[in-house]
Amino acid sequence: MDERSEQAGGKQAPVIEPGYTFGSVTDKISAIVLTRPTSTSWFIGFGAFFLVTMMLLYAIGYLLVRGTGIWGINIPIGWGFAIVNFVWWIGIGHAGTLISAILLLLRQSWRNSINRFAEAMTLFAVASAGIFPLIHMGRPWLAYWMFPYPSTMGIWPQFRSPLVWDVFAVSTYFTVSLLFWFIGLIPDLATLRDRSENRWARIIYGILAMGWRGSARHWFRYETAYLLLAGLATPLVLSVHTVVSFDFAVGIVPGWHTTIFPPYFVAGAIYSGFAMVLMLAIPIRKIYALEDFITERHLENSAKVMLATGLIVAYGYIIEGFMGWYSGNRYDAFTLWNRLHGPYAFFYYMLIACNIVIPQVLWIRKLRTKPVALFAVSGVILVGMWLERFIIVVVSLQRDFLNSSWGMYYPTRWDWMTYVGTIGMFLAAMFLFVRILPMISIFEMRTLLPEAEVKE
Amino acid sequence: MSTAHMRNPDLMAPLVVKTIGQRSLVVGVIFSVIAVAGAFAQPAVFFRGYLLSFMAWLGVALGSMAVLMLRHMTGGGWGMVIRRIMGAAMRTLPFMALLFVPICLFGLPKLYVWARPLESITDKHLREHLQEITRSYLSVNGFILRAVIYFAIWNALSFFLTKWSREQDQPPARDHSARFRALAGPGLILYGFTISFAAIDWVMSLDPSWISTIYGLLVLAGQVLSAICFAVVVERILVRYKPMSEMLKPDYVHDHGKLMLTFVMVWAYFEFSQWLIIWAGNLPEEITWYMRRLNGGWGYIGLFLVVFHFAVPFVMLLSRPFKRDVTRLVWLAIWLMVMRYLDIFWNIEPNFSNTLTVTWADVVVPVAMGGLWLAYFFRNLGSMPLLPAYDLDAKEVLEPAHE
Amino acid sequence: MKRPPIYGMLAEFDSASVLVAAAHHTHEAGYQKIDAFSPFSVEGLAEAIGFHKNNVPLVVLIGGLIGGLSGYLMQYWISAVSYPLNVGGKPYHSWPAFIVVTFEMTILFAALAAVFGMLALNGLPMPYHPVFNAPRFAFATKDRFFLIVFSSDPKYDSVQTRRFLESLTPKSISEVPS
Repeated sequence: MDERSEQAGGKQAPVIEPGYTFGSVTDKISAIVLTRPTSTSWFIGFGAFFLVTMMLLYAIGYLLVRGTGIWGINIPIGWGFAIVNFVWWIGIGHAGTLISAILLLLRQSWRNSINRFAEAMTLFAVASAGIFPLIHMGRPWLAYWMFPYPSTMGIWPQFRSPLVWDVFAVSTYFTVSLLFWFIGLIPDLATLRDRSENRWARIIYGILAMGWRGSARHWFRYETAYLLLAGLATPLVLSVHTVVSFDFAVGIVPGWHTTIFPPYFVAGAIYSGFAMVLMLAIPIRKIYALEDFITERHLENSAKVMLATGLIVAYGYIIEGFMGWYSGNRYDAFTLWNRLHGPYAFFYYMLIACNIVIPQVLWIRKLRTKPVALFAVSGVILVGMWLERFIIVVVSLQRDFLNSSWGMYYPTRWDWMTYVGTIGMFLAAMFLFVRILPMISIFEMRTLLPEAEVKE
Repeated sequence: MSTAHMRNPDLMAPLVVKTIGQRSLVVGVIFSVIAVAGAFAQPAVFFRGYLLSFMAWLGVALGSMAVLMLRHMTGGGWGMVIRRIMGAAMRTLPFMALLFVPICLFGLPKLYVWARPLESITDKHLREHLQEITRSYLSVNGFILRAVIYFAIWNALSFFLTKWSREQDQPPARDHSARFRALAGPGLILYGFTISFAAIDWVMSLDPSWISTIYGLLVLAGQVLSAICFAVVVERILVRYKPMSEMLKPDYVHDHGKLMLTFVMVWAYFEFSQWLIIWAGNLPEEITWYMRRLNGGWGYIGLFLVVFHFAVPFVMLLSRPFKRDVTRLVWLAIWLMVMRYLDIFWNIEPNFSNTLTVTWADVVVPVAMGGLWLAYFFRNLGSMPLLPAYDLDAKEVLEPAHE
Repeated sequence: MKRPPIYGMLAEFDSASVLVAAAHHTHEAGYQKIDAFSPFSVEGLAEAIGFHKNNVPLVVLIGGLIGGLSGYLMQYWISAVSYPLNVGGKPYHSWPAFIVVTFEMTILFAALAAVFGMLALNGLPMPYHPVFNAPRFAFATKDRFFLIVFSSDPKYDSVQTRRFLESLTPKSISEVPS
């Protein structure tokens, strides 16, 4: 409602270009899945990322044979790339649920054209994240020990440890994101079932749609459930990165033990998540000619979210730095010094440049609607947020209280292969998703059309 | 857009505002006399109550400015309808600056251990720590200089927000939204930083060896909550009369209720994060802050806050009919303002006493200051129309409700 | 049990507004057992067909309570009763540490209750449904709006009901076999 009236008066780009009907919106989005021939470039792209995924499997396979000694981790730096990448991916995963749930509660209907693929992105990002703690355990085949089940050994998980909280937070997050994504898909799966010419496609979409027929009673309960799920997902998404931040903050390592971590991690997560959404949305809208649905308005709003969350991240750096000095605690002060002048100082300055300095160009209104510029800034932010986790994990562990236990960390090629491999897996999954499911929520797009309004 | 315009006299606050203002002034003056008399008798006790009271009322004024800037960033009818209430609260900031002067002139050594001569400190560790920190940051001159900067920034923001808003009371209709946005964006950032450092200076440094990096955000969340609750209280008073009775729609009240719910949750989230991290770390320099606040009777206050600043309001605010009915929501808003006061009490007072003690100053000074503050607020509220009639967004608020 | 050969009378409309109005008229005309189908959630349609009761919030509340309580009690029982272990000198019953998992369990159970509760109340999954037999019903998931009067309605009469529905100016009317 708000959106429509706003569109009439404001100068902003519309959420959906005028001239569409229920039928043409349906046809345009479902055609990508149903009738458009699969292009050669899709096969090339998918094939390339599939090969990268194979590299990931190779790296993991070798890890299972040889153990975590093939990585660069050591004592004191027991948490290397695996945890850096875990936090990075989980953070990226936050944007999907944020767009779906929080913007739904805030009645921001512009979200309707980007929520579907943002949710898919969340699932794939959380799946990529989940790999890391699993393979970092050394003996991943015993992963089920993390869950509380009555074992013959008579032992139980230790609930005072944030690592156990993480198990619950991440698995809950994955489950709820999956439910949210799936329940959002049901009406569109019914559309695909009814539109598809291919018998097998009809059967598969039919099974997944579970007999959805758009009954008014069903819609009524559906809307309630969807809204409640959004209400539940909102605190959940904030809790997940909060719990991730507890993994660090609950310990007493200087650089980790600081009370600002929960909100600061959450802001950083949203920051990188929106950057990834833009990096995916900008090429997709170009390739599939979806500029009418993913408009400049979406780009600009996402850029504003990035600007705001980036400033909260900057606030975190400044307060942390100030307190390190103000506290008079020599370990905290040394951590700050070590970041600025230690062996990894270069990466700290890169981090400041990528996360704080360069994104300030988003203040310029013109740049916020330029796809190419936004794509570049988003890439810079993703690098910056990865570096931030690297600084937190590695530089804090590298030199803690006793200088007899100082060390250095150098990632090996297996570290890089695993990291790059998950990026390949993530992108390969996105390719599949774009090909077999509607990447824009068709039924929610219908509600954005002026004819959806019920006149008395 | 000109069709829905009402003439400015119709948009002025009702006369009751004047009456309430006068009564507040009477109460404020009477209690001020008592407070000043008490100040001569027990200056140390007086200043504890004074700081507590100052932080509580500053929260309403500054929080209002923050909510106002938030409205300029996001737009929406919920903010239009309380815009002038927020503005009137914000324009008390010069008065808050004035109220800070006694702390600077007479209160510092009575309140802050770092402002006393180092030789008078018996605790050896604290003395060593203070030797470092007072030289570089917590010096009397630095404290005053920083306070001047904070108040200058806040008053400057308030000045421009008011000036442009006032222009929208007169024709022609003008769209200041871009200008407001350009100020509100950086303004919110400035507010975030200044209030964080002010919180460190004025409250956290009462215990100079304790640090918590989330503390600024905690104070910020509390201020915004105070402000939104205060706005609900004032809109409840005004809704009995024109023009507020025509402007305030259930949808707007619902949005105010949602904001209350959000900030109750944000406050609880920050509090819990701080508590869990410090509890789990259990470092002597950090946990002592909580040890003071959980023992000697103070723990009951903490428990009371958990239940009545978070749990009960949270459950009540989940109800949709409750959030839409201003006559019921107002009671929770008043209650939460009391809880804000109690939270600040629980932050400040345990620094001075090992066991739970409530002094005369904890009651008299907040009432005195509140009376004067409210008198000033209601004068401000009466001095401008309750809606900038020539703002393009005013039309929406003046339209009759759909329901 | 033998089913009646006719499931209901289906009328097709081409806009949401017309459907809501038609549903209102039909309900006011005394037809109790009716339903409407639309390609998206139409505001006010459920009220128009006389459907107000919604148990989803209750199911979610129960799910959340079960999740939260079981989450906390599980941690308490494990850490303080079944397997008390001194870790870092923290008490066995470390309530601050138990809040996080309690919270996650609350959300998890409430979310599961929301999705599966909604599906169960809607009677889904339902692979076969008579209404799919209607020739143009496939457009209910694209751009068409339908209203059905079930044959189980006491007022149902194939001639009278058809005449009544025709008065609502639909695009088409068809009798749906069961």
